[in-house]
Amino acid sequence: MNLQIEATGDVTVVEPVGRLDFDAAPGFQEALERAMGGAGKPPGAVIVDGARLEYVSSAGLRAFLLTARAAQRSGIAFSLCALQPAVREVFELSGFSRIIPVHADRASALAQAQQGRT
Amino acid sequence: MTARRTAVSADAAQLTVLHQFLRDFGSAVALDAAEVRTFELVLEEIFLNIVMHGSQPGSTPVVEVSLHRAAESVTMIVEDDGPQFDPLSLPPPDVTASLADRRVGGLGVFLVRNLMDTVSYTCVAGRNQLRMSKRLGG
Repeated sequence: MNLQIEATGDVTVVEPVGRLDFDAAPGFQEALERAMGGAGKPPGAVIVDGARLEYVSSAGLRAFLLTARAAQRSGIAFSLCALQPAVREVFELSGFSRIIPVHADRASALAQAQQGRT
Repeated sequence: MTARRTAVSADAAQLTVLHQFLRDFGSAVALDAAEVRTFELVLEEIFLNIVMHGSQPGSTPVVEVSLHRAAESVTMIVEDDGPQFDPLSLPPPDVTASLADRRVGGLGVFLVRNLMDTVSYTCVAGRNQLRMSKRLGG
């Protein structure tokens, strides 16, 4: 899978493109770890924009879960936005949309991230 | 052609082969992309369960997948010759647990149960057989 990472101010947006299956999950998780600052200064918020994410299996959910926990420990606001219907269904069925905030689109996720820091 | 069958060894590297098999089947029987992805997800979860739990030292199970398209449904049967194991006997995950208490174990089979209309397990002549079907367009 491909990824685009965009940092604006102290909000980092990660946009995965394609499929998040068992093969792609480890690389995706590493990318999220980097987006959370790695060894450097952590951002205030990390948003995963799912507009071009076509597929997520339980291996992908695991990467989201581990990232959400790491974000919580580091005080980083972690959220998702713009999930495609099939991916949103997987998040809802698995109960992940209760533990990770999911916004309708990037604009509302960004607005929430800004608001969260004021 | 409305039915197809393939067999691979229970090795995670074969997942891409199975996904391609499903996509080829999907084009051959005119399934829409969303239906194909649902079956890809279900097959990934079941196959990786066999990969993780089915191998014993010195023996890797063979996993056979067959797909059948009927007028209004698709049926997928996954068989393996690994140790007898009913994935449907796994306890369901607690999908209401907090972030700190959430576990990923069991989530795959849980998704399979929820994304398919029927799922049943039988052990036939020492082979594990999981049969799953889904109505189309619903």
